[in-house]
Amino acid sequence: MDNLLQILFNGLSVGAVYALFALGYTLVFSVLGVINFAHGAVFTLGAYFTYLLLGGAVGSNGLLAGAQLPEGLPFWVALVLAGLGCALVSVGLEAVAFGPLRRRQAEPLLSLITSLGAGVVLVNLIQILMGAEGYALPAGSLGQLPVTLELGGARVRTIQVVLMLVSALVLVLLTLWLERSRGGKALQAVAEDATTARLLGIDSDAMIQLCFAVSGFLAGLSGGLVGLSLSITGPYFGIGYGLKALGVLVLGGLGSVPGAVLAGLIVGLAEALVPGEWSGYKDAVAFAFLFGMLLLRPQGLLGRAVVTKV
Amino acid sequence: METGLDMTLPVQMVLGALLGLSVYLPLASGQLSLATPGFYAIGGYCAALLSTGWPALGGELPTFPLPSLLLELVLGGGLAGLIALLIGRPVLRLQGIYLAIATIALVEILRVLNLNLPFTGGALGIFAIPQPFNDPAGYLAAASLLLALACWLCQRLETMRLGRAQAAVRDDELAARSMGIDTARVKLTSFVLSAVIAGVTGVLSAHFLNTWNAKQGSFDASITTLAFVVFGGSRTWLGPVLGGLVLTALPELLRPIGDLRLVVYGLVILVGPVLFPQGLITPERLKQWRQLLPQRGRPRRAEP
Repeated sequence: MDNLLQILFNGLSVGAVYALFALGYTLVFSVLGVINFAHGAVFTLGAYFTYLLLGGAVGSNGLLAGAQLPEGLPFWVALVLAGLGCALVSVGLEAVAFGPLRRRQAEPLLSLITSLGAGVVLVNLIQILMGAEGYALPAGSLGQLPVTLELGGARVRTIQVVLMLVSALVLVLLTLWLERSRGGKALQAVAEDATTARLLGIDSDAMIQLCFAVSGFLAGLSGGLVGLSLSITGPYFGIGYGLKALGVLVLGGLGSVPGAVLAGLIVGLAEALVPGEWSGYKDAVAFAFLFGMLLLRPQGLLGRAVVTKV
Repeated sequence: METGLDMTLPVQMVLGALLGLSVYLPLASGQLSLATPGFYAIGGYCAALLSTGWPALGGELPTFPLPSLLLELVLGGGLAGLIALLIGRPVLRLQGIYLAIATIALVEILRVLNLNLPFTGGALGIFAIPQPFNDPAGYLAAASLLLALACWLCQRLETMRLGRAQAAVRDDELAARSMGIDTARVKLTSFVLSAVIAGVTGVLSAHFLNTWNAKQGSFDASITTLAFVVFGGSRTWLGPVLGGLVLTALPELLRPIGDLRLVVYGLVILVGPVLFPQGLITPERLKQWRQLLPQRGRPRRAEP
């Protein structure tokens, strides 16, 4: 039974990352109705920020070769700072890839392209600065915490527990903020109808920027956590996660926060339950779910069906 | 091969233009499908498997016989079209961003299958695909012929019932349906045509590239091909062709600036839609240009 417990645990911790990542997509989608394809690049950036803030050295291939912080920060400070850095980048992204199109009231399809262009720029800047090689985060990044823990008879890696705890915390905070605070309510109003929100005295543009900031923070945080838990396989490593999170997003229902979390956990568990001899097909699990879901119930698990008025 | 660069680039450009048209066709009926790279990969695997695994086609000969290539084009295009026909019905019920995401999922599922199926050669793919032409010029001729055919089809469509129906569905699906247009059928036909074009492009590409692997049909390719259409303009067939030619050439032309080239490429995709939301070529601009042309002896055609 140990083994099953271990598998479940692995699945849940991977699922928590998918959920965190998909939340960032879902926030932007619920407000703008578009998918931010640069989200995966911001996730990657978060992992690299975390690596650098923990005191990791840049390899020999990048322009920044040899650069290193004099002293690594504690992992939780590094994670939060990386998240904040990504929030800034994400706001910048909004200013170049989404804002100009929105002000011209151009077709939403175009921002798929511009955000992807921005993602290409980000990923390649990372490659130029840091080189194409993979990075493993410095050993002992977790400070005093032991590397593995004994939980109910199963040995689990501490980072996986951290991952789940952080995701749960972020989810609770995010839900509270969205449902209980003035800012969250204002964001929901903008998502419902930007023009009416503006008439009611809500600064729509500022809310959209805030939304990108939160989304970027979530991407940076999840990137940093994945970097800590696995390793950074190169500047392109966010793209695969970005696509899977897209599957999670649709499975949960576009724009639904609890849906994204539920779907993230389901996909994580399903992937972990794929038997070893079929492991090559693991990457298709999220997309198979997505595809099936779109055909059976396009609004997703917890999404609202869209009624088009004529 | 190093000296062949200047000749292989035009071939890639023409293949890019074909893929642009493949994304354009569903879009002409208002459907954003990103499935093109999936069908492209299917066409390529078809060619790679047939030419290396079926001796009767003449894969052992010094040059691969042209009739065999023709047969592959028919089979590769046909298989892509058939798959599109089968999945098109359920998938095309989805609209807008949902359709786009479903087609991205389709491409990813196909990629994972291609990576893991026992006969597709795994991550390395299939090697030593026989060559029907001894130099890039032959490929350029073949690809240009395919492109000319595809362009002719798109031009013909504009005056055909199907093309008119596409435009009607694109402008207002509900209105089109209430006028008695079988919108599901129009969308499905556009989707199948798009798949066939992507399939035959894959067949030719596999021979041209000499190897074929799962990387050929990836999410990146979905977006790159969509960029061809958005950059060139999605309202005339000329737009995607121009977009495909230019954006395929761009990374190669930027090669001298080294690592920065992909940054510049990203910037072009980022800034292009902001400066030209309609793409470079729009029907209005075409009309203006046509009026600028010097009047020749023949009388001007009446405006429709």
